[in-house]
Amino acid sequence: MIIDINFVGLIIASIMASAVPLILASCGELITERSGVLNLGVEGMMIIGAISGFALMTVTGSLIVAVFGAMLAGVLISTIFAFLTQTLITNHVATGLALTIFGIGISAMIGKNFVGIPGKEFPVLFESLKDTIPLISPILFGHSIVFYFAFALPFMTNYFLKKTKIGLIVRAVGDSPESASNQGINVRLVRYACILYGGAMSGLAGAYLSMIYTPQWIENMTGGRGWIALALVVFSTWNPIKILIGAMIFGGLTIIQFHMQAIGVRIPVQFLTALPYIVTIIVLVVISRDSRKIRLSTPSSLGKSFHKDN
Amino acid sequence: MNTNLKISNVTKIYPGCVANDNVSLEFNSGKIYALLGENGAGKSTLVKILSGIIIPDEGKIYLNENNLNLNSPSDAKKNDIGMVFQHFNLFETLSVFENLIIDSDEQRESLREKIDLIMKKYNFPIDLDIPVLNLSAGQKQKVEIIRCLIRNPKVLIMDEPTSVLTEQETSELFLSLKKFSEEGILIIYITHKLKEVMQLCDEVAVMRRGKLVSVSEIKNENIESLANKMVGQNLKTIKKKKAKTSSDQLIKITNLNFTSEDPFETNLMDINFSVNRGECLGIAGISGNGQSELFQVLSGEIISEKKSIEFNNNYIGDLNPQERREYLMAFSPEDRLEQAAIPQMKIFENVALNNFKSSNFFNNGLINENKIKEHSKKIISDFNVNTDNIELKSQFLSGGNLQKLIIGRELITSPDLLICFNPTWGLDVGAINYIHETLIKINEQNKSIILISTDTDELLKLSDKISVIHKGKLSKIMNAEVVTSEKLGILMGGAN
Repeated sequence: MIIDINFVGLIIASIMASAVPLILASCGELITERSGVLNLGVEGMMIIGAISGFALMTVTGSLIVAVFGAMLAGVLISTIFAFLTQTLITNHVATGLALTIFGIGISAMIGKNFVGIPGKEFPVLFESLKDTIPLISPILFGHSIVFYFAFALPFMTNYFLKKTKIGLIVRAVGDSPESASNQGINVRLVRYACILYGGAMSGLAGAYLSMIYTPQWIENMTGGRGWIALALVVFSTWNPIKILIGAMIFGGLTIIQFHMQAIGVRIPVQFLTALPYIVTIIVLVVISRDSRKIRLSTPSSLGKSFHKDN
Repeated sequence: MNTNLKISNVTKIYPGCVANDNVSLEFNSGKIYALLGENGAGKSTLVKILSGIIIPDEGKIYLNENNLNLNSPSDAKKNDIGMVFQHFNLFETLSVFENLIIDSDEQRESLREKIDLIMKKYNFPIDLDIPVLNLSAGQKQKVEIIRCLIRNPKVLIMDEPTSVLTEQETSELFLSLKKFSEEGILIIYITHKLKEVMQLCDEVAVMRRGKLVSVSEIKNENIESLANKMVGQNLKTIKKKKAKTSSDQLIKITNLNFTSEDPFETNLMDINFSVNRGECLGIAGISGNGQSELFQVLSGEIISEKKSIEFNNNYIGDLNPQERREYLMAFSPEDRLEQAAIPQMKIFENVALNNFKSSNFFNNGLINENKIKEHSKKIISDFNVNTDNIELKSQFLSGGNLQKLIIGRELITSPDLLICFNPTWGLDVGAINYIHETLIKINEQNKSIILISTDTDELLKLSDKISVIHKGKLSKIMNAEVVTSEKLGILMGGAN
């Protein structure tokens, strides 16, 4: 049997493409959680991003407006979460769950008029280089700008948290909001900013799904990817590089099990569909099992409300 | 340059409590000022006002005749007021350097040079690149002090700085503070320890129940006069009578080890000791050296090897706290509201939590409320708990009353051994005296005590034998009569 080397390249590229929304949403949520806020509304923010992007693209015809509009929609819906949890000091878990339910509901309502409308083609970069090197070219070239951004994001996030002053402040707020507040850091402001950033990234992840990955609107099209993104953050022990690894494994197994089903491997379909979830979690648990490192990288105040009283 | 700090008519009222009642004070640089008072006297509120964390209801602060508007901690920093907190304000998972750079506007390199200079000048050797959680309490405090010094403060406030330090670290701290004072930094030193005031300070202001009671020069005061001002009444001093030593062994710990998965906990290594009937064994040490792990192992919160603990000729190392109580052990944990009692539950419900077999608190799975209430009333009257309402939620009891209730609850079974961990932590002098008297009485009844405490004076007062725990290891056991607090301090610091 001769395996076409370009075909392998294409499979790898498709794995990477399926990992993009996970990387975007996880890296956003990672910043939110590093500041001590647990936002379980990722799924809801993603689906809002998906419908907003698709609707704006259809209505305005402008891809740029649609992409930034989707991010803005993510920011807006996360503002609700931020206001509730940071200003009204509601419980993070309950508010986040409500946000997801709200997002799924409202996206279905808005999306009614957009079902069945075909999407637009999203421009890709370096198209002409696609056939130059076997195996490598299909992986590296011919993708959308969002794709390249997503694969740079974990490294930028890592740099931001480790090397910049603002990153340090975010970590400090997540570690001990009381101390940070006593040092004159505006805890509420930092947390607002981190929640809104997480919202923008989830919105972008949703827009990638409805505009680039499968350019159309289907109700509930995020299909639990927001929850996977949340799980990736935790199992990666808040490490952006491990998020990249986890997202690739998850995307890879999702794609490969499709192919296995297509070939007709004699394994129950249900097991194959469950495989990516199980394997991703096992791998991440194994690579992050150093309990000392977990203690050092877990934001100590995660999910706890902070209220400054005078 | 001279610094003058004036507090003028400051009042801060919380629901049900006047924390600061019209307080006015004046400080000048070149002197070290003590702000003395018991827990809850309002010292901490006053210094939090000075550092911008709390905004007063009324009153003004002047620095060199300028009226300061302290609405946030950054306002205090801008005005060159630095504060070292009692509970460290550090980020445990960040490195020392990250902790220091976080509120500085300087570049990495220039800040590093500045920190190196400060560390050399005052002899603070600290590795800047390890996470803060790996530092000792004394080192953490130095990091806090460096953080203030980076900003060249005019005023430096120290809030109960010695509560986590050894004797040696304390004298080092005092030397540094005197140096700072000579360099023109105005120092305000908050404490409830009289000895330290006499040792270090030039002037002393005493606070009681939110009010300023007196301001005077140290040379006109002595420990007794200050104590009476602080408490507001004449204190009787209690002393332990030398108990006749028995050779009847009650508990024996052999080769006890505990290894923790958690990097925030301390491992216990090869613990060996024994306590005879009627004896009090004191275990000294700086907090965080394995005391809480030792308490948990002794109380059965952490199960160990069966043969490592022998109590009354039974091996009980693998029993849980409830089962150990049946063998007549009793426990008073450090954290009264988190570990010993459930704050939202009523007094009598908390009493019922310690249900020993003979208590008949429960019949066939039903609560025998009358029995429990009767029992609770007895504890309240026997142990002088200042309330007559056993339906009161425990969170509304003061620390002292809650501690009396807990000790009473534990003692009502007349246990052979009471294990206490910092029993007088955070209590006022009256309650401390009462608890001490109670503990002495227990020994007089030929019952034993293991007293784990970070308060050296308390240990010297109550113990017959003393050992020091350092990094999870016990020192050899010493006769309390021949041990001095200096000797304990050296051992607490890890030397031999």
